[in-house]
Formats: sequence, C-alpha cells, structure tokens
Amino acid sequence: MLRITAQKSLAGAKVSPKHLFPIFSRSSTDVAKKPEKIEVFIDDKPVLVEPGTTVLQAAALVGVEIPRFCYHERLAVAGNCRMCLVEVEKSPKPVAACAMPVMKGWRIKTDSEMTRKAREGVMEFLLVNHPLDCPICDQGGECDLQDQSMAFGSDRSRFTDIDFSGKRAVEDKDIGPLIKTIMTRCIHCTRCIRFASEVAGIDDLGTTGRGSDMQVGTYVEKFFLSELSGNVIDLCPVGALTSKPYSFTARPWETRKTDSIDVLDAVGSNIVVCTRTGDVLRILPRINEDINEEWLSDKSRFAYDGLKRQRLVTPMLRDACGELKPVDWEAALLGVGKVLKAAGGNITAVAGGLADAEALVALKDLVNKLGSEAVCIENSFPLDGSGTDLRSSYLLNNKIAPAEEADLVLLIGTNPRLEAPLLNSRIRKGYVHNETEIAVIGPKIDLRYDYIHLGEDPSIIRQIENGQHAFVKKLKSAKKPLVILGSDTLSRSDGAAILSSVQSLSRGLQDEMCDPEWKVLNILHKVANQVAALDIGYTPDLSKICESSPKVLYLLGADDCGITRADLPDGCFIVYQGHHGDQGASIADAVLPGIAYTEKQATYVNTEGRAQQTLVAVTPPGLAREDWKIIRALSEIVGAKLPYDSLEEIRYRLEEVAPHLTRYGCAEAANYFCEALELGKKTNAPIDTSPLDVKQKTLEDFYMTDVISRASPTMAKCVAAVQKQNLSKY
Amino acid sequence: MASVILRSRVLTPKYLKQCCAGISTSVSRYSDDVEVAVKQREAPLIRKELALLNSAELEQKRQHEEGTITVDRPSNVSVITGVPEEHIKSRRVRIFMPAKNAMQSGTDNTGQWEMEFETRERWENPLMGWSSTGDPLSNMQLQFSTKEDAIAFCEKNSWPWFVQEEPPKKEAKPKSYGVNFSWNKRTRVSTK
Repeated sequence: MLRITAQKSLAGAKVSPKHLFPIFSRSSTDVAKKPEKIEVFIDDKPVLVEPGTTVLQAAALVGVEIPRFCYHERLAVAGNCRMCLVEVEKSPKPVAACAMPVMKGWRIKTDSEMTRKAREGVMEFLLVNHPLDCPICDQGGECDLQDQSMAFGSDRSRFTDIDFSGKRAVEDKDIGPLIKTIMTRCIHCTRCIRFASEVAGIDDLGTTGRGSDMQVGTYVEKFFLSELSGNVIDLCPVGALTSKPYSFTARPWETRKTDSIDVLDAVGSNIVVCTRTGDVLRILPRINEDINEEWLSDKSRFAYDGLKRQRLVTPMLRDACGELKPVDWEAALLGVGKVLKAAGGNITAVAGGLADAEALVALKDLVNKLGSEAVCIENSFPLDGSGTDLRSSYLLNNKIAPAEEADLVLLIGTNPRLEAPLLNSRIRKGYVHNETEIAVIGPKIDLRYDYIHLGEDPSIIRQIENGQHAFVKKLKSAKKPLVILGSDTLSRSDGAAILSSVQSLSRGLQDEMCDPEWKVLNILHKVANQVAALDIGYTPDLSKICESSPKVLYLLGADDCGITRADLPDGCFIVYQGHHGDQGASIADAVLPGIAYTEKQATYVNTEGRAQQTLVAVTPPGLAREDWKIIRALSEIVGAKLPYDSLEEIRYRLEEVAPHLTRYGCAEAANYFCEALELGKKTNAPIDTSPLDVKQKTLEDFYMTDVISRASPTMAKCVAAVQKQNLSKY
Repeated sequence: MASVILRSRVLTPKYLKQCCAGISTSVSRYSDDVEVAVKQREAPLIRKELALLNSAELEQKRQHEEGTITVDRPSNVSVITGVPEEHIKSRRVRIFMPAKNAMQSGTDNTGQWEMEFETRERWENPLMGWSSTGDPLSNMQLQFSTKEDAIAFCEKNSWPWFVQEEPPKKEAKPKSYGVNFSWNKRTRVSTK
C-alpha cells in the first residue's frame, strides 16, 4: 500500500492547473456566499446559528436538550407531539421548538414557568390516553414517555374515569413477524410513518381517523415488509412497536451491552450486542455517521437467533463407516495434521465471507508454509489485468456516507437494497433530499425509489464508455456522479471486460471532476470480509481448485462456494472449519468448530476498506475455539509453527501484511486508478451478450444469505411472511 | 510521565530556616554605630551534613525533606494493589466513549470516556436462574473526562489497553418544517 503525501500529489503533474482553478475559485465563492450567522440566547446563553436553524437545534448546540417525542434528527419535522414547547421572550404563546426557526435576538427560555407548565400539560394529555401497563411493557426501562413523565410530568393525574367507560383502546395490528404492535400505547408521534415513507421508501404506514379515533396502521391488513423495518422499533418512543423475537425476554438494565460490528453484509454496520448469561438477546444499531447512521438492516438485527442453532460445538472426524463422529481436539488436530503433512503441499484453502482477518492471515501463512499458494475466496473476481493487486478495483472507493451527496448514481448489476440496505438508504436519502437521479443497468428490481432503467444488456456499458449512448449526456453534466458495480457482475465469465469498461467510463468522468476526493468508481461487495481477504492476498479463482486436484481442501467457513464431492478428485480430504453445520460441514471429512462474530475479538474490513473489530459478547459454545488459534495449534502439529501466540502478535502480523487492517475505524483509500485502468485495457476481452443479473432480486432473497441467517428461525418466518404477502390482494 | 509520591511528614524543614537566619541581635547591641550595627550580618550557619553537597544534591535533599520526591517514570501500583496477576496480565481494557442508546432520544451518560474489560464467561446460576460470573472485574465501571486519564489509569494498574476512537460527528443541517409542503420537491409528505 503506497501512499502519496499531499505535498507530493500537489507537486506532481496529476492535477493540472486547469483542474486546480475551479477548486480554488469555488472555495472563495463559498466563503462569500455564506449567509451571516444570527445570534440567539438559550437560557441567556448566547449562540450563533445559521439562519433557518430551529429552536431545538440551536438549543442542542449549547447543550440544552429540549424534550421531544415526534422530532427525530434523521426524519422530517412533524411538530405534532407538542412536547418541545418552549417560551420565547415577548411571545404570548409557547412555540414548538422542533419546527420554529430562530429569529435574530430571540431569548428562548427552556426552563421557565410557562415552558414547564406547557410540558406538564402535554404530558398529562398523553398519559390520559396511554395505558398504565409499564410493568408488562417491553419498552419499560428505555421508554421516552416513562423518562419524560418522570422529569416533566405532573405529580398527580386529573384523569378520573368515574363512568368506567375505559381508557382509549386500539386494536393491535399484525404487521409482520418482526414487529409486535400494542397500538393502545401509541402516542401518535408518527415517527414510524415518517421512517417508512422517507427512509425505507414504503408508504404502507399512515394514520386514519381524527382526534381520539386516530390510529396508526396500514389501514388494510398488510405486513410492513421492508429490509429496514426493525428500525421503527428503535424509533418508537413508547412501547407501541416492539421487537417480536425479543418480546418479554429481558429488561434493558439486566443485559450487558457489547459494542461490536455486524458481519452479515459488507457494510460493517456498528452494533450493540445485548447479552445475558451467555445468550445474545438482541442486537441494536450503534451510531456511526460514516457507515450506518443509526439504522440497521433487519438481517443484521434479527438473525442472532441463528447463532444458537446448527452450531458446531465439537470437533468431528469421519469414521470408517463414513459418519462424522465427535472426537476431542487432540484427536481432531492429529488427524487433520497427519493428512496435511501427507499432502506434501498439495493443499487448497477456501475462505468464506464470515472468516475474520486474523484467521485469514493465519490460514494463508500455514498453507504457504506447507508449500502451497492456493488460497482463495468463494466469490470469483476477474484476475485479468491488475486483478486484485490494486485496491481501487475492488473497493467502494467513494465510501458509504458521501453516497447521499451524489447527484447521479449509476448502478450496474447490483441490487443495493438487498445487498447493502444501508447504502441503499443513503442513495434514497440523496434521492429525497438532493434530487439525485439514479440509473440502473441490470434486471428491473424494486429499489424503493424511481430510476431510469437503461436495460439488462451489458453492452450498454461499452456504449456509455464510448459515448454512443444517450445517457452519456446526463453522466457528463453530473457534478458528483457515482458508478456502483455489483460483485455479482464480476463473477461472470466476462467480469474482467465489464470491470475494465466500467473503470474506463469512470476514469472519463473522474477526469472532469473538480473534487479530487470524489471517486466515481465503486465496487459493492456482498459478504463481510471480502475486502480483507483480498487485501491479505487471497486469490479469487475458485474455478481452478478442481483443476488443481488438491489432496486436502481446507474450507474456512466456506459454505457458499458450491463445491461438491463430485468436483473433487477421489481421496481428497476436506477439512471444514467454521461455526455452523451447513453445506461445508456436510461434505467435510474433518470438522473443526470455530466461533461466530459475537464470540470473538476479530478484524473485519467492510466494502469501503474500513477496518473494524468485533468484540467478545458471549463465550463460545461447547468446544468451539477461536479460528486463528485452531490454525495456530494445527500448525504446531504439522511442524510448521506459526510465529504468533497472542492476539497482539497476530495483529502485528496483520500489520506486516497490510498496515491498514489494524487501523480500526479508518477507511484506507485506494489509489492507482489509472494504472488499474491501463492494465485492464490490455486484456481487451469482449463483453458477453447474456443479460446482467443479480442473485437477490426480491425481498424473499434478502433474509437468508449466509450460515447464520439460514439457521435463524426468525429469518425463515420473514421469508414466509413475504410469501404470504405476495398472495394477498393488497 | 512524572508522578509524585507523598512521603511521611515527620521530617520538618527546620535547617532551612536556620540557613537564612537574619541579623544577629547581639551584634547591634554591642556596636557603637547603630546604622552599621543594623546592617551587620553574621556569617550564615552552615550545617556540616550539607556543606559538601552540590546544588543539585541540595535541591534533591530539600525536596526530600519537604515530603515529596519526583520520579520520572510511570508509577505502577499493580504490585501493591493485591489484584491477582491473572487479572492484570491476561486482561485487555477497552477505552471508549459510550454510544447513545438507539432506543431512546436522551443523550445522558454519553460524552465521557469509559473503560471496560473484555467479556469473560457468564452463566445462569442453577439456584435462582440469576447471572453468574467468575470475573471480579466485569462490574468495574469507571468514567473519565479524557481518554488520557483513562490510559494513565490503565498504565498505573498495568492493564493492557486499547482505545476505540469516538466515531466522527456530523454537523447538523438546519431543518425546516416547510419542506414537507414544498410543491416541487421529493421531500413533500404524502403520507400522514
């Protein structure tokens, strides 16, 4: 990984004066155009804010938090709960802080008598229509209504139901297998409605009726099916929407929270794993503005029950009858070691998408030490041209967060909605707030926003590259264009040609960019640690495995490679190391139980090249052990001892191989775009005529994509729900 | 990093006062000229144990007798805290800023640095079904105002540590109620 310092790149001829000029001129006009800040006083504390800032935002700047129910930073302003009423000096009525823009010189009083009385009144009205079922409510302990009624509510109630006519009661709705609704608790903040229509792009939720007859729901019986639906559970300030799989399981104060990273897609969302007595009880998102904001996809949130099923808990060896029999670690390691030694270097290793960087580097070191270079990943990737030598040709170079700033997005052979739901939510954010235009080359899919469908024919890419397509005009006029190429496309036989074509088309746009930080070319991966495997030096040529007729095939969590016994030569010994008994374990001769992402401190690199680490939340089940430790133990038995004994030592080794792998939280940018393009051009392969395709087309295909989500009953219920919904007339 | 160890306060800096003793009363008494007598000073009293020391040594001695000495290396209290070696060498401390709870809108208990040990096994106690652990440090919850403080604390206790840097903050854009009703933008709200 070579890095060019800022000085060097400025001094070099890469940036011509022509390109430098707009940068400087633009920045100077920006300064000139910036509107003057206005001064307001929050509780007599002066603060300078941009014009148009709301009272609530201005108060947040000086650390004054105004209570709210309906307002949410990432959703549109609704202004209907009235909890944020504050007094403004010389104003006869209190104002709703969330919706009111500040005026010059306003003196806002957030703790005055009027403000407190207003809050108390709002609180009283809310509680009149809210059941007193906190003891049996799942939100208890992390309920905004509970907390705010303690802080701002009255000490007594005027609600006396002398006629026993009963409190407001609303029928519960069935909106799917993930979200439990207790609609009587709803305070009509409409956060779920706004989330559904703005972020998820599904206008299914809404309100019906008025006054005390108002209801939030889908009107007709319908599931709220979205890949992001679980987020409404977090958004709901009361217990109206709670998690169905987690219902009546635990209170928030009895769980332990471990910050971790999600590995079920290539986004690397930040999560909090809530555990009790060695069980993962639920998974919540953790805010990271660069990656997932504060959302989480349903697969990442609800697939945790797959961590308890289908687990490999003991080492196994295939006995004479051809059955896998549990053995102890010593026997298993000796058995595998003997075979590895006998193979004499004729070993192939395949790593799956869930393997962590530590295990990947240990396995590669072991296989290399035994005299083989055949380490590969499940998904194939073009090896022609620069192949995977240059990082720019396999990273989401422009990162996830700036995707919302793009004004034109071209999606090629990818379905970001199901492959990376949080990237799709960024694109949708741009679509809503930034008037982004989106174009798709590939099958017609439902992305939850409008797009221009250019066709399925891959030759369109060539036409755009050569400037023969009508779409070129739009691309050229875009200020911040983004080209996202799906990894499915790269597994095609003409993947190299498509990649080189996309590289060249992106280069053409990149050259006209004013902003050198903006990267047009982006590759979107589908599995968690693809980038780390490529960084470490795994090769993506699975097809060559069968040709090389290996004596030992070592599968490190590889379940989706589609290799069967029939593909391999007779007598090939298959070792499977992983945490779930899935396809890989079923064909194995020896099974070494590894552990899942909630059980280890391990490095994962997401599709933008950002290294992050998971942390231990629970201890592994049975005899399962950390993956790199298994390989380290095996290496000693084989007689090729690996030189690391602790996590620190193996991370030194990671740092030797690729230093960015241990710089947690940072996304290491790629360079050598031009070089990758030049090398790619040399291959000069033709593009096939077969239409571009993606594997995940409808929501059904979203839920079960890896060993964890395939073992999850909740995910199975989701698939069933989608199928049921498809039969419904609504 | 320098740290200060307090020493016992038995030694008082008496001799220092003697060294800078002022005018001798006897001289002025026996002199003829009062002016001269007032100005006359006696030779300073030199203590024999200090006479041969150079200035650096004197300074050290002074500090020593004042009750404090400065040591130019991190202090290590782990040798005297009584924490078993197992819980010093094999632990790994994470220093982090707690994230806001996604379930609530409040931001209390965020914004400060905390330390946390790696998770060890917990199990359900068969007697009552409560959660049990064999890890005495798992319930230690400490807050620090800066991450340097947290690092210093871990260093002092010889715990291996790592810092999880706080995720980047984003500047808030002014929000507007009006965009819900803009007639030509996609922000227009259709569902209410």
